[in-house]
Amino acid sequence: MNLFKREVRAHLKSLVIWSVGMIFMVAGGMGKYAGYASSAKTLNEFIAQMPKMVQAIMGFSTFDLSKASGFYGVLYSFLAVMAAAHAAILGTEIISKEERDKTAEFLLVKPISRNAVVSSKILAGIFNITVLNGITLVASIYITGYLSNGENVTDDILLLMKGMFILQLLFMFSGTSVAALSKNPKGAVSISAMAVLVTFIVSKVTEIDSRLINLKYITPFKYYDAKDLMYHARLDSVFITLSIFIMGVMAGVTFTAYSKRDLKL
Amino acid sequence: MNVIEINNLTKSYGKTRGIVNVNFNVEEGEIFGFIGPNGAGKSTTIRTLLALIRPTGGSAKIFGKDCIKYAPEIAKEIGYLPSEVFYYENMKVMDILRYSASFYKKDCSKRIQELTDVMELDVTKKVDDLSFGNKKKVGIVAALLHEPRLIILDEPTSGLDPLMQQKFFELLFEENKKGAAILFSSHILTEVQKMCSRVAIIKDGSIVKVENINTLRENNYKRFNIEVRSLPYKNYFNFGGIDNLRSEGNKISFLYRGDINLILRKLSEAQLSNIWIEEPSLDEIFMRYYERED
Repeated sequence: MNLFKREVRAHLKSLVIWSVGMIFMVAGGMGKYAGYASSAKTLNEFIAQMPKMVQAIMGFSTFDLSKASGFYGVLYSFLAVMAAAHAAILGTEIISKEERDKTAEFLLVKPISRNAVVSSKILAGIFNITVLNGITLVASIYITGYLSNGENVTDDILLLMKGMFILQLLFMFSGTSVAALSKNPKGAVSISAMAVLVTFIVSKVTEIDSRLINLKYITPFKYYDAKDLMYHARLDSVFITLSIFIMGVMAGVTFTAYSKRDLKL
Repeated sequence: MNVIEINNLTKSYGKTRGIVNVNFNVEEGEIFGFIGPNGAGKSTTIRTLLALIRPTGGSAKIFGKDCIKYAPEIAKEIGYLPSEVFYYENMKVMDILRYSASFYKKDCSKRIQELTDVMELDVTKKVDDLSFGNKKKVGIVAALLHEPRLIILDEPTSGLDPLMQQKFFELLFEENKKGAAILFSSHILTEVQKMCSRVAIIKDGSIVKVENINTLRENNYKRFNIEVRSLPYKNYFNFGGIDNLRSEGNKISFLYRGDINLILRKLSEAQLSNIWIEEPSLDEIFMRYYERED
């Protein structure tokens, strides 16, 4: 519990900054909707004339931008990548920073097992991503609801945030496993950030060309894609199973690799 | 009974050498010196004992238990002071000490009070603002606050002024009297001589010798550097106990082992313009000391 508290306190500042960032993204993104809403028809026509590739990259494909929910669907993919980046960096740092800041020689000689250290840190990580998710959820419901002209967006947002939460967990565990495996604690964060970027780009690529659709299994961003979630109004059980499996493997890697790790001092 | 038992402990990092077949024991209630030049493998040995790194060969037992397998359990009774201390950002000294104590499941507040008083540590200051020496003091308190049975110190005196060193040594003697064994690593021979009953000498990753401190003391070399105006006669310094004699113009340097009064009398008969008497470097000691044995 002492370690959990310490970790929560240590990440408090960064959590506040990320939370403010998310609120601004929701407010800024949906603020644009308020501007476009009056001329939404022309906007839709304008977008329809854009090349398919541009539409795919911007995430405009298949959303009705005249509706608040459609606009939020586009915004969601950017919120998701932000949250994923946060989770990946957090997961990596929370494990590797003891070595980066050379506090490992302080902490790891205490009567606490490596597994207990990792557990507390992962719990603190989950706490952080839950808060970020919750703040994004509340900001989204409040801001989108305010601009939606009576359209019910709350259910969509709740569903999307559920997806985003699993996405965050996935990237957090990928971060912890990278940190536990990485020989160089300073380089680990860039590897994790790179993983977010690459999977995000792959998720965009799948939208450009329908022949690449099977690539969706290698990028978690497609597991919880806004248009699929909103169209089916539920999370896909295949992807949930896949997510749980990946998380299990990565958590296992984190615990085993860290318990055998030679600390870099 | 042995508090620490090290059996052929080996740690290699790929191609670079760590430590090779290290063997020595530290007995209950003993202050044991661990001495060697920088980079000889002292820290590697200690970090393996503390399970911060895993050995590639051999094993070590602390309190009769394997030091890797039972690390968390053993750690309850170990106090460790690393050679360089680092703490979390934005924490006050007291926060660090309380945090450190929180892992030991016993009330350490009284001991923290005592130790910070002795070390004259301002617990309300932020750790980031402390000097190197004061950070070290925080480390000392953190290492001793749970009254451990085994104290492991890795180059503990660096950064401490002589007065603080003295207080720190007194503190250690007190802990030792209460029954704590101490493993004291250092590259400074005199402080080890002051503290320890036995020493292990490590060089290039291997233990060269485990020796009683009295035996080592008999081999107590001093390095003399003198500038002479004139000497009573030629080859004035050719006598027993002088070693490694070099002269260059009016500068003469040599190692001396033996009765200190003898050499001083000898020196007083010469006309000197300057003199330095120093501890020889460890390398010099090793060279002198082991030349005869090889």
